[in-house]
Amino acid sequence: MLLLAVTVATATLAMGLSLRGASDALYVQTRAATAGPDVVALSGDTGRAVTSALTGLADDPEVVAHHGPYQIVYADLTTRGSATSPVVVHGFDERPAAINRPLLTSGRWIRPGGTVLERGFATELGVKVGDRVTIEGRAYPVLGIAVTAATSIYPWAAQIGPGGGPSNYTGLAWMTRADARELAAAHDLPVTTAIDLKLKDPGATEAFREAHRFPAPRVNLHSWQFNAEQDARILRNSEPILIVGSWLLAFLAITGVAALATGRALEQTRRAGLLKAVGATPALIATVLLTEYLTLALAGEALGLAIARLAMPALASPTASRIGDLGGPGTGTVIATTVLALVVAVLSALRPTLRALRTATVTALSAAAHQPRRRPWLTALSALLPTPLLLGLRLTARHPGRAVLQAGSIATTVFAIATLLALFAEPVRGYGLNGSPALPNLRDAHDRRLLLAVTALLIVLALVNAITFTWTMAIEARTNVAIARALGATPGQVTAGLSAAQLLPAVPGAALGVLLHLGLRWLLTAGNAADAPVPWLLGAALATVLATAALTALPARLAARRPVARTLSAEAT
Amino acid sequence: MSESSAVIQVRGLVKEHGQGESRVRAVDEVDLEVPQGEMLAVMGPSGCGKSTLLHLLGGLERPTRGEVWVAGRRIDGLSERALARLRRRSVGFVFQAFHLVEELSAAENVELPALLAGGSPRQARRRAGVLLERVGLAARARHLPSQLSGGQRQRVAIARALVNEPLVVLADEPTGNLDSAASLEVLRIFEELRAAGQTLVIVTHDERVAAGADRLISMRDGMFVDDTRLAGATPRGLGDLLNLDG
Amino acid sequence: MQDAVLAMLAKEPSHGYGLRARLRQSLGPLGESMNPGQIYVTLARLEKAGLVVSERADGLPERPDRKIYALTPAGQQRVAAWLAEVGWPKPDLAEFHLKLVAASAARLADPVELVGAQRRELLRRLREAQHAILAEAAESKAVLLLEGVVLRLQADLRWLEACEQAWSRGADAFDRAWGEGEAGAQGGAKARGGAAAWDGVEGRFKAGGGRGDDRVEGV
Repeated sequence: MLLLAVTVATATLAMGLSLRGASDALYVQTRAATAGPDVVALSGDTGRAVTSALTGLADDPEVVAHHGPYQIVYADLTTRGSATSPVVVHGFDERPAAINRPLLTSGRWIRPGGTVLERGFATELGVKVGDRVTIEGRAYPVLGIAVTAATSIYPWAAQIGPGGGPSNYTGLAWMTRADARELAAAHDLPVTTAIDLKLKDPGATEAFREAHRFPAPRVNLHSWQFNAEQDARILRNSEPILIVGSWLLAFLAITGVAALATGRALEQTRRAGLLKAVGATPALIATVLLTEYLTLALAGEALGLAIARLAMPALASPTASRIGDLGGPGTGTVIATTVLALVVAVLSALRPTLRALRTATVTALSAAAHQPRRRPWLTALSALLPTPLLLGLRLTARHPGRAVLQAGSIATTVFAIATLLALFAEPVRGYGLNGSPALPNLRDAHDRRLLLAVTALLIVLALVNAITFTWTMAIEARTNVAIARALGATPGQVTAGLSAAQLLPAVPGAALGVLLHLGLRWLLTAGNAADAPVPWLLGAALATVLATAALTALPARLAARRPVARTLSAEAT
Repeated sequence: MSESSAVIQVRGLVKEHGQGESRVRAVDEVDLEVPQGEMLAVMGPSGCGKSTLLHLLGGLERPTRGEVWVAGRRIDGLSERALARLRRRSVGFVFQAFHLVEELSAAENVELPALLAGGSPRQARRRAGVLLERVGLAARARHLPSQLSGGQRQRVAIARALVNEPLVVLADEPTGNLDSAASLEVLRIFEELRAAGQTLVIVTHDERVAAGADRLISMRDGMFVDDTRLAGATPRGLGDLLNLDG
Repeated sequence: MQDAVLAMLAKEPSHGYGLRARLRQSLGPLGESMNPGQIYVTLARLEKAGLVVSERADGLPERPDRKIYALTPAGQQRVAAWLAEVGWPKPDLAEFHLKLVAASAARLADPVELVGAQRRELLRRLREAQHAILAEAAESKAVLLLEGVVLRLQADLRWLEACEQAWSRGADAFDRAWGEGEAGAQGGAKARGGAAAWDGVEGRFKAGGGRGDDRVEGV
């Protein structure tokens, strides 16, 4: 249980933390493989002035090599499956240049009449080498698929829009210079002129940009760092989802494990008493008790990191626009996950350990459960309720701390589900033409998948928690359950009572989860984001509560059916 | 003894624990009739099956074979639910380890069976008050079990067993965890109950408890080896107990 | 009894009937069986032994119950000696034990049956004592005495229980030990005979328990 919880939480946290670094790492590797330029100069204007301004840049002493200028044509591309997307066509030489040399991942390089598609774009379109695509009415065979570091990943291949304006979600294709020129001319398409530059000092792109400010014509200088940053934009939401998700998962892990730990507290108290009796110091006892949890937590952490490493490529690179391997998690990530694992272990073990230490040796050895606190008002209230609720309330009153944990666990789950619902309720702008959903919005899809996964993990953990809670409670309450049975409570009443004991904290927990979600959205988005419909939210909360009830019914039922006579006799000796 | 006056009837009762080789007969072909108003004690060494017998009578365990009738109703085949209902109406349990609910005060413990049986809280509370008065603990009604002595806890447990006015009270080693002074308190209450005509079946190895009964059954290896009427024997006079000759 | 009467006079000289009343009060219900004349017989003996002296109360007719008794110095010494004495009545268990052994050896009676009968008898006595305690006011000193009676009966009952277990389970062993002690080499034959005899005991269990074909061995 602890192992599972810590594994899930650390994996999530590790992924969240190393996401940005992973995206950068992939860009750097792609850049190395494709001789990516340090700076790309683009101008949406036309005319001789533009060309001379761009070629003038190449004469700068800082520049050691250049490629271009070349034309970028804004067009529409339709696949045979009739998905249509904006595309920018780069007019390139048939021979690879010294810099900005797109790396073919399949097929061959451009020839007259044929095109090569950028890999992220091709993947999204579902296009393979040998397929035909239609660009502005003319069919081109797809000769190859390639990746480049000169532009940002799909769908941000356009860099600047037509005439230097804003751009849409756009894919990237390459053609020969002649084909590109012909395409632009035939349909009178907007064109941008670009030149790729390699600097003496690749780190000095900012200084280079400062040194070259054009009043006219307008020239945009895009550094490789800018592209790398742009790449990470697709992960903009992933990071918080994963990091917040890992917090929530860690919280659930702590609640679940704490419940389990208190369930075992009696045994542990006895063990501590035994150690004390043979002369162990409190420090030694604490070490012994904590070690068990720490070992498990660290094992969970290692497992979590391994999972994170395996899952990272898919997570960090939702598009196919980049190549390269990801190393293991960085030192910072490992430190963070270790801290998380330690916190979980210590928080879980703290209470039972402290209690075990505080209990006097003799009391511990003859270990009866801790002195129950009494809540007269609860008992008075419960006397008015039907029997199952009565039993439930009294069982809840027995462990107020656990009820709070249980409520927290449910609140977390409902909160996650509500967030998921809200995201799904948001209108989606697809990557197709004019936001057509023919091509799905990769970033949203990625976010959704991620949130779905995190939520699913949260739900699983919450379910495990609910069962753990019920089971611990059933075990702890077994004497009382047996007494109640002997006094004439039916198994049904006892089952209902145990389930009710879980539901009592679950209901306020669910309400809290919904409120938390609404509050957070109101704070963060000031009401302009789409909210999940209220019936959905209520439904989710209700479903969570009902699922808890159903899940707890099974252990409760088993507990209720335990033979009374044996329990009572066992307690007597 | 006419059939109708027997609160408990048992025929050919067998209870086996365990499986295969390790199978043990805890109760071995026992016949028993407990008439209304009788206080019956069952004695025997530990492990002789007397506790199992008591559990069988109260429907806490199911017999392997044989019949158990409580209040003219056969209970060995009843569902758990029906057994629970039977217990709350017709049977009151008293245990060696008291088995009070630690979270509830003395009065609340006594009320519990009444509430389980669907009684109104007000009525349950009043009845609990009366019973605690009867066992001499009216002043301790609001104490938690942990604040009571063993004897007091057992008296609370007896009050709890009585709250639904059961046909029979089944007590399992009621003085097993008590010192002799506390045992005496419990014995006094049992004697009062006996005088009031309450049917009682007490399993014990405390000779004092057994001696207080109308009838004593000795059990060994799951069987009855002796069945003696203690009540109604010609009193010899207390002088016989001491040598007072000069 | 003599010592107790002497000790009661140590506080102050007293009438015979006063002594009797104090005795009865201390003994509680157990004192009721005391013969009314017994106190005077005791006092007469003590007087004869020179431990008490009596004098007639003034202005009253001469009747034995109107005499006032007082301790003599010898009587006082005897009281002091009595108080210092640590003797204790010895329970006579040997007689019952030998009864069982003899009954078993000669096959006169089933020792387990004898134990059972004795047990029933002691339980009845215990019941009486118990009821007497419950009838007494809690603060009465007589309760302590009755409690003592109850505890001794309990001890005796526990011993009987041990006897019963030993005789019903270990009858062979007992018998063999007895046989060997008596006749040395012939013990083996005797033991076999003993084992045959004890089938009778099993038979009794069968009768008592109704059925008993598959008894569970050992507890």
